[in-house]
Amino acid sequence: MKLLTIKRILGLAVLLLISISCASDLDFEQVNTLKLEPVVVTNLAYFDAKASQFVVNGAERNVIFDASTIQIFDGSFFRQRLKKVELFFELQNTINRAYSLNVLFLDNDNQPLHALNLAIPSYTGTENKTTKTDIFEGVQLDLLKRTTNITFEIVMRPGGALTDSSLGSLKLRSSVTAYLVVE
Amino acid sequence: MKKILIVFNLFLAVNCFSQNKQILYNFTSVPQSLLTNPGSDFKYDWYIGVPLLSGISANAGSTGVSAYDLFANNGVDFNIKLRNAVFSTTRKDHVAINQQLEIFNGGVKIERQDEDIYVSFGMYQEFDVFGYAPKDLAILALDGNRDYLGKIFNLGDLNLKAESLSVFHLGFHKNISKNFIFGARAKIYSSIFNVSSTKNSGYVYTIPSSTGIYEQQIYSQLQLNTSGVARYNDENADIDVAKDVTNRAFLGGNLGLGFDAGFTYYPKKNIQLTASMIDIGFIRHSKEVENYSLKGLFNYRGVVPSFSSGQSVDNIFQEFQEAIPLETLNSKYTTWRPAKFNSSVQFSFDEERPEDCDCLNQNAETIFRSALGAQLFMMTTPRIPLIAFTTYYRRKVFKSLDLKATYTLDPYSFKNIGFGLSSNFGPINFYVLADNLLEYSDVTKANSLSFQLGLNVIFKNRRN
Repeated sequence: MKLLTIKRILGLAVLLLISISCASDLDFEQVNTLKLEPVVVTNLAYFDAKASQFVVNGAERNVIFDASTIQIFDGSFFRQRLKKVELFFELQNTINRAYSLNVLFLDNDNQPLHALNLAIPSYTGTENKTTKTDIFEGVQLDLLKRTTNITFEIVMRPGGALTDSSLGSLKLRSSVTAYLVVE
Repeated sequence: MKKILIVFNLFLAVNCFSQNKQILYNFTSVPQSLLTNPGSDFKYDWYIGVPLLSGISANAGSTGVSAYDLFANNGVDFNIKLRNAVFSTTRKDHVAINQQLEIFNGGVKIERQDEDIYVSFGMYQEFDVFGYAPKDLAILALDGNRDYLGKIFNLGDLNLKAESLSVFHLGFHKNISKNFIFGARAKIYSSIFNVSSTKNSGYVYTIPSSTGIYEQQIYSQLQLNTSGVARYNDENADIDVAKDVTNRAFLGGNLGLGFDAGFTYYPKKNIQLTASMIDIGFIRHSKEVENYSLKGLFNYRGVVPSFSSGQSVDNIFQEFQEAIPLETLNSKYTTWRPAKFNSSVQFSFDEERPEDCDCLNQNAETIFRSALGAQLFMMTTPRIPLIAFTTYYRRKVFKSLDLKATYTLDPYSFKNIGFGLSSNFGPINFYVLADNLLEYSDVTKANSLSFQLGLNVIFKNRRN
C-alpha cells in the first residue's frame, strides 16, 4: 500500500515538474548577427618646432623636413574592418613668421597617396590656430590604408628676420578617429 | 521536443551555477551527502553507487544576465540585447558552471568494539568554469574609446578560470562521542586541463592632452596559465583526445592534494549542528604547461618627427610589441581548488515511535518526522567569496521517503525554491534534487538552475 503511494507521489512530482516547466523560444543563431562598431581615437602626429630651430649658425633655415614610418593602418585586423577614418590636424603658431605645412602620406614605393597643406599666418599676439579635418571613406580610405610613410615639410614664408633668441614655436597636434565594423 | 532539448541543454550542457548543493547538504538519506560533509550523520553497513548513475549533478548560474536576455527569439536585434546586457552588468557579475559525474562511489562499515568507523571512497569527474563579466573590455569592444575620454578601463576585469579534473577520494566518519560525529576525506586531484587568468591588472586610458591631442597609456599585467591544452595548438601533434582525457583522469594528469573535514553535533536530542570544509586543496601544474603574458607599459604619442623629438618614430605596432611583449613561457604554477564551507543548524520535531528499527536516524530511540533548519554556504572565488543562505523544511513522509524543501538567498536569486526527494525501495536508493523551481515556468529566464540525481544500493545498519 505504502509502496504504491510512494510511487504515486514520485510519479506526480516528476509529472508536475515536467508539466510546469516551459522554455521560451531561444535562437542561438543570433550570434551570427553580431556587429560591433567601436570608434577608436588615437594620436596621429605631434611636433613642436621652436623658432630657434629655423636659424642655423645665424642664417635662416626655410625648410624643415622629416620622414617617418607609420603603420597605423597596417595589420590585417584593422585594415579589413576599417570603414571610415577622420584625420584631424591643428597647427598653432606663436612665431612672428608665417608658415605652411605639407604632410604627405606615401606608400611603399614612395608614391603620394594623400597630401595635406596647412597655411598659418605669423603670430601677432592673439591666438593663432588653424585646423583641418579630412574624412576618408570608400576608395579614398583604401588609398589611405596603403600608407607606410609620412613626411612633414615645414616651409617658412618671407617676413621679419628670426634669430637664435627668437621666441615662439610652431606646434602640430593631430589625431585619428577610426570607425571600425567588426562582424 | 525543442523545449525538452533546451531544458536538457541547460541542465547538462551549459551547466551553470556555483557549487552550492543546498538540497543535498545534510540530506542524510542520500550517501552523496557525505561529499558535502564527511562528518554527515549517515549510517550504513555498506553502500555502492550505481556506476555512472550514482551522482549526476549540474549547476549553472549567472548573476548578470540570463539566456533569455541574450537569445530570446523576440525580434529585438541581438546587438541591442548584447548592449543592454553589457551595460546592465557590473564587474562583480559572474558566470559559474559546475558539473560533476560520479564514476564510482561506495562505503563500508568497519565494525569496532568501541565505535564503528564508516569508510567511504570513490572517484568523480568535475568540470568548473568561473568567469567575471569583463565589463570594461566589453565596453571597449562595443564602443571604442572615443566617447570615454578620461575613463580608466580596468584590465583586471579579465578574470576567468576553467578546468576539468577527476577526483579520487577516501574518507571516514565515526562517532567521537555519543552526540558528536567527525569525518574527514583525503582527495587526490588529477587535472585533465586547466586554464586560468585570475591575477590580471592594468589599465587603458585616453585623456585630452595639451601636448598631443590625447594622452594615451596602456599598462598591462595580463597572464594566462594553461595546462593540458598547449599540445592541441600544435598541428603536427598526434592527437587522441579520448586517450589523453582518460590518461589524465586516471592520475596521468597534473596532480594535487586536498581534504574535506566536517562534523555533526547534537547539543540536544532534537537540535543538530553541522559544519564542513570541502576541497581545501591545490593542484600543481607542471606537465604540458604553457603561459602567455602581456606585461609592460606603453605610452602612445603618435608620430613625432625627428626635428621635434630628436628621434623618428617607426612602426607603432613594433613599438607596442616591444613595450608590451607577448611572451610564451613554460613555467609551472599552482591553482587552488575553490574551497567550500557549509554549516547548518536544525531543529527537529514531530516525534514518532518506530514500528520497527529505523536506522536513518542517529538516535535509535527517537525518530523525528519533521525538521526545520538553516544553512550557510560560502565558496572562495578569485575575488570576494560567494555566500548563500538557505532555510529548509525536511519531512520523513514514510520510512522510505524523505523530502526536503529549501528556500535560498544567493547572488543569483532571492526566490530560489528547491525540492529534494530520496526514496528507498528495499536497498535501492533513488534521489532527485532540483532548485529554482519557480524558474521552471520559463527556464530560459533563470539566472541559475541546478539538478542532481542518482541511484545507489544501500544496506542499512541493523545494529543501532
